[in-house]
Amino acid sequence: MRAGHLLGTPLRKSQRIAGYAFILPTFVLFLAFVLWPILYTAYLSLTSWGGFGAPRFVQFDNYSRMLHDPVARRALLVTLVLTGVTTAVLTFLGLVTAVLVNVIWPKVGVVVRTILFIPGIVSFVVSAVLWKLIYDPNIGTLNRLLGAIGLDGLQHPWLADHKTVLPAIVVVTVWGGLGFTMLIYFAGLQSIDPNLYEAAAMDGANTVQQFRHITVPSLRIVTGLIVSLGLLNGFKAFDVIFVMTGGGPNHASEVLGTYLYSLAFGTTSGSIPQLGYASAFSVVTMVLCTLAVIAQLWLTRRADR
Amino acid sequence: MRKPWAGKSFATFVLFPFCVLMAFPFGWMLLTSLREQNTIFNGPIIPRKLTGTAYRDAWTSIEFPLHFWNSVWITSVTVIGVLVFATLSGYAFAKLDFPFRNTLFVLLLTTLMMPSTALIIPLYLELKSFGLLDSQAGLLVLYISGSAPFAMFLMRAFFQTLPDELIEAARVDGGSELTIFRRVILPLTRPGIATVVIFQFLSTWNEFLIANTVLRNTDSLPLQPVLFTLMGQYSTNWPALTAGLTLSVVPVVIVYVRMQRQFVAGMMLGAVKN
Repeated sequence: MRAGHLLGTPLRKSQRIAGYAFILPTFVLFLAFVLWPILYTAYLSLTSWGGFGAPRFVQFDNYSRMLHDPVARRALLVTLVLTGVTTAVLTFLGLVTAVLVNVIWPKVGVVVRTILFIPGIVSFVVSAVLWKLIYDPNIGTLNRLLGAIGLDGLQHPWLADHKTVLPAIVVVTVWGGLGFTMLIYFAGLQSIDPNLYEAAAMDGANTVQQFRHITVPSLRIVTGLIVSLGLLNGFKAFDVIFVMTGGGPNHASEVLGTYLYSLAFGTTSGSIPQLGYASAFSVVTMVLCTLAVIAQLWLTRRADR
Repeated sequence: MRKPWAGKSFATFVLFPFCVLMAFPFGWMLLTSLREQNTIFNGPIIPRKLTGTAYRDAWTSIEFPLHFWNSVWITSVTVIGVLVFATLSGYAFAKLDFPFRNTLFVLLLTTLMMPSTALIIPLYLELKSFGLLDSQAGLLVLYISGSAPFAMFLMRAFFQTLPDELIEAARVDGGSELTIFRRVILPLTRPGIATVVIFQFLSTWNEFLIANTVLRNTDSLPLQPVLFTLMGQYSTNWPALTAGLTLSVVPVVIVYVRMQRQFVAGMMLGAVKN
């Protein structure tokens, strides 16, 4: 190839040894704490196991049980709905805010970007606790504000009603994720050639037409990225829901993550952990996440053409 | 040309109320942490008098310093560990030539997006069988191994921007591969390292699921699980609760404000490279 070749083999050999030595620590950890757990979960999902003794092999029983378990079906449905709605709202609001930040005075834009971004850097636990207090039915700020402006009729136990709990969760997730989405779109907007807009303006295209025919198509790769990240984050959702509702009321906000956690680590004390059944949900989560990654690769490739 | 003022004013008109809404929870958190406990239920929404007693309560009664320190040291060790592993392997994948390099790289890549919700059961069982359950060492092992592949991926992108000639020249001068890496390469990758450090600091500081699952002994808990349990214990002492939240956010905000540029670059790179 290059110098190594010209100078003979010793250099290449030392490179080979160094190469393996340099990746060894990462690779050992990866095998032990990433790859092995993945394979082990897949195996456990085919067993019935309470944590003691040997796991009993039951083939695909856990998966067929999932199909008949109303809570499991609810959890899958809620996961998909929350993921879809959150991703759609984030993508839409992210694009709109990025476009607005892009036209505003640059100095104001920096302030707006910071304000939108800060909710995304605090932990999910902090934002979940914070919003739980805001949603509190008795002394929560949302209800108090509604009361203060004379809208007492709209006061509501937001997290305790199965009709409002999911929208309430979407609000928290969007609040936390918007800054990041906006920022990726903003970077995408900045990389669009301004000459395109000038040429379109000369051809008599108005702002809306320019947006539809230049901005949106130029951002296709960015949108693909945002959608697939939204899907990934949705499929693995746990922290916010676990802290705010624990999956309640009566499983109304149960997602795959919270359900598998309660099956394995038990929210009710004294129950036997169902590690095999819970692992089946891990496998479903992994499959969904893999699909999201494949979707992104597919979208990127299509947009590249 | 169109009138630029019209667009700018319209954007301000829409964004201003939106920003107020987005900033409201934090403003409210600060206000609540500064008000007197007995004004929570029936006092005015904007408190008339501000007091710092809630911070003193949070600081002393929940052993805040202990958990804060736990978070600091767990995060520091994780960042350093991830950095060592990720720079070494990222450099090897970017610049060294060895058999099966691409195969191994793809293998590491395919599992990059596996979420900890999906792996928490086997990880818990694994720590248990190693006798590392309920120890910060076990938590550190999981943190470092879970984050190293992604950080490796980021670092590889940075190493790839360095010219090959540089390394070859150093080889001709007779440096060993490790010396070249330490003396020639690492100093040139400072922006990349800064990015990984910030990204890792943030994700480790904010991690909840694994810490909450593998640690049971209250004294060894980092902040996030503690904040979660506080919510149950202090369900009515909102000033102390919000004071705890505020204190837990301070380091993150400081790092963000001081290193905003690398920070944003890191997040973007992470997202784009996924």
